[in-house]
Amino acid sequence: MRIEEIVEEFTEVEDETRLELLLEYADSLPPLPQAYHSLRDAGIGLIHECQAPVFLLVEVKDGTVRIIADVPHEAPTPRSFVSILFEAFDGRPAQDVRMAPDDLIHQLGLTHMLGMQRLRGLSAIYRFTRSEVTRQVNA
Amino acid sequence: MASHEYANQDVLVSTDWVAEHLSDSDIRLVESNEDVLLYGTGHIPGAVHIDWVNDLNDQTVRDYVGHHRFAELCMEKGISNDTTVVFYGDKSNWWACYAFWVFKLYGHANCLIMNGGRAKWAAEGRPMTTETATQAAATYEAQPEDASIRAFRSDVMDHIGSGLPLVDVRSPGEFAGTLLHMPAYPQEGALRGGHIPGARNIPWGRAANEDATFKSRKELEEIYLDEQGLSPDGDTVAYCRIGERSSHTWFVLTYLLGFDKVRNYDGSWTEWGNLVGVPIEK
Repeated sequence: MRIEEIVEEFTEVEDETRLELLLEYADSLPPLPQAYHSLRDAGIGLIHECQAPVFLLVEVKDGTVRIIADVPHEAPTPRSFVSILFEAFDGRPAQDVRMAPDDLIHQLGLTHMLGMQRLRGLSAIYRFTRSEVTRQVNA
Repeated sequence: MASHEYANQDVLVSTDWVAEHLSDSDIRLVESNEDVLLYGTGHIPGAVHIDWVNDLNDQTVRDYVGHHRFAELCMEKGISNDTTVVFYGDKSNWWACYAFWVFKLYGHANCLIMNGGRAKWAAEGRPMTTETATQAAATYEAQPEDASIRAFRSDVMDHIGSGLPLVDVRSPGEFAGTLLHMPAYPQEGALRGGHIPGARNIPWGRAANEDATFKSRKELEEIYLDEQGLSPDGDTVAYCRIGERSSHTWFVLTYLLGFDKVRNYDGSWTEWGNLVGVPIEK
């Protein structure tokens, strides 16, 4: 699904269903490819703003985005958000990431559910994803 | 359990004890986590979920929900005035202690903590389920707020004016003012870094073992009494950044070490560090 479709999916439902949707996304994040385990285990590619060890690499090759990520099952909220980004952007043109809304987290309806206290980690994940794509496209 | 001989041994129960009492009708398990989704990935059978943002914090006033809404919440969760509530959660029961403190604030009589929390239960391979618990019918009569466990900023002003002990349970970097938030937790900001004048720094996590259980009474006494010079018959105020980590220390001092008077300053650094006209120390 494209990011607009995911936003639509989230805005159409009540809070409780939105939590279930997040859990489904948390479940559907594919396992980290074996080739990246040593990087993750060495603590490279972690998003420092997240309390949980969120491993995230964003690569742009020939204009196509690859998202390589791993988040522990014990941290389902950041895991679900990374999974949303994977669904929306992995294998898609870099332009999709660059055109995605600045206030995606708010548009997904997560702001009031998580509270200000829990949003910063997700914002950092999103900021990193977008800035990596911009940096690599401009490189 | 009895080997640790805490001041109030009855308030702490083991995972074994919980496993044996899962189907008792006068007991309700409450899971409280930092992560709002964690309960949904699986929880102890029969446990209900209470989220600190959505259930305990008022959404318009910076305060807890108030004793009338609290009573409604309890009824929704199948908790009556005489129900024994057993709290457990992630991160060494940090949020479980916070929920416990709010329950005490609203006068709930019987509150327990499951030692080791969610991590210990899971590590022992005990059953978890994603099934929602069937709610027992409950009636709840709102109780007056118990002001004796809560400190407001004016109380803290008086407290430091009298030179009484104040415990800052944040990380050393936050205490020193070099960090405006806990490492890796940049959520709640304050305009200035430092601590309340006269506070001593005892990071909350020093009271927890690696396996998320509480340290033994002897180990806790070594930290809070011998090393830090706190006294069980004194008047102690604990704070952190929004009052959740300090709930953990409040629980330790009040129940495990039997201090007479401990209050949690829930306004904490996000209030004090932003207040006009109050002093700080770096």
